[in-house]
Amino acid sequence: MNDDYLWDKSGEPDPEIQELENILAPLRYQPTPLELPDDVVVRRKWNYFPLLAIAATVLIALLAAGVWLRVRTEKSTPPQEQAKSVPSVPSVYKETATPEVVQKKVIRKRSYVKRRESQEAIAAKEQVMLALRLASEKLKLAQKQMKSPHKIG
Amino acid sequence: MKLLFQKLAAPLLFIALMTTVAQAQESRIQTTTLDHLAAKASQSVDVNMDERLITIAAKLFSDKGDEKKIKELLIGIKGIYVKHFEFENDGQYTAADVETIRTQLRSPSWSRLAGFTSKADGNLEVYLMMTGDKVGGLAVLATDDRELTVVNIVGAVDLEKLAQLEGQFGVPELGIEPGKAKPKNEQ
Repeated sequence: MNDDYLWDKSGEPDPEIQELENILAPLRYQPTPLELPDDVVVRRKWNYFPLLAIAATVLIALLAAGVWLRVRTEKSTPPQEQAKSVPSVPSVYKETATPEVVQKKVIRKRSYVKRRESQEAIAAKEQVMLALRLASEKLKLAQKQMKSPHKIG
Repeated sequence: MKLLFQKLAAPLLFIALMTTVAQAQESRIQTTTLDHLAAKASQSVDVNMDERLITIAAKLFSDKGDEKKIKELLIGIKGIYVKHFEFENDGQYTAADVETIRTQLRSPSWSRLAGFTSKADGNLEVYLMMTGDKVGGLAVLATDDRELTVVNIVGAVDLEKLAQLEGQFGVPELGIEPGKAKPKNEQ
């Protein structure tokens, strides 16, 4: 007796196997369509992954741009300005970063940032005034022409 | 319906955003074509102020008197761009240079408020961009034999506040009043 019947049912039938087959027959796979109860509501599941991926990409790009700008700004600081803003510290105190030293550094850095911002603001104000002055000059001319009898516009 | 709204919300928001950006860009005149004139000019002014710089500058204006009025005027403005060249000799700029600016101002969004030509003062054109019943931008193009000026103010220029500014801080009286400003498109 060989195992062909067990393999592909081609050999001599084994009564014991056949009996087992008969017992397990009701549990055999039956190809029937899936029937869902009527009260089950099928909801579409939203796939938020693409949106999250886009948001994450934008966030990373913004962070990268911020870091890049900061690095660029720090690099573009003139050496003289840097030397002024960070006075030389005696070597004895260099290694000891006491809270006072750290606080002083923070205050110095803040004042430097404030100074830069105020310089930028002053320059911006001057530009606004310059632009308004030029615009006003031309508008004054337009007003003059409006009143004159030679206007053609 | 809800699903339709969800589907349409994002594209509509995107379109609205793009329209706003496009409108802001539309009232901005490109003047980079005039940059080459700086080398020929004896004196030149180039002001490029975006909204951020204007906000920074506005903080320096005090909340009193004339400065307050300028500060209030700056609130609606999103950009100030000025190009001004003065030359020692005639013919330093060409008609084509001016045409690059005038072409942009011929678009339907711009309306010519006034245009003057005189021997003494040269050519002067004032344009407005209207967004509904509000001013969305102002442009002034002034040309003389030895002078070329382009002033472009982007954003909601409050004519009432501008009228209040007239005569102060060197800003002259123009006679523009909100009710009277009815520009006619002269295309």
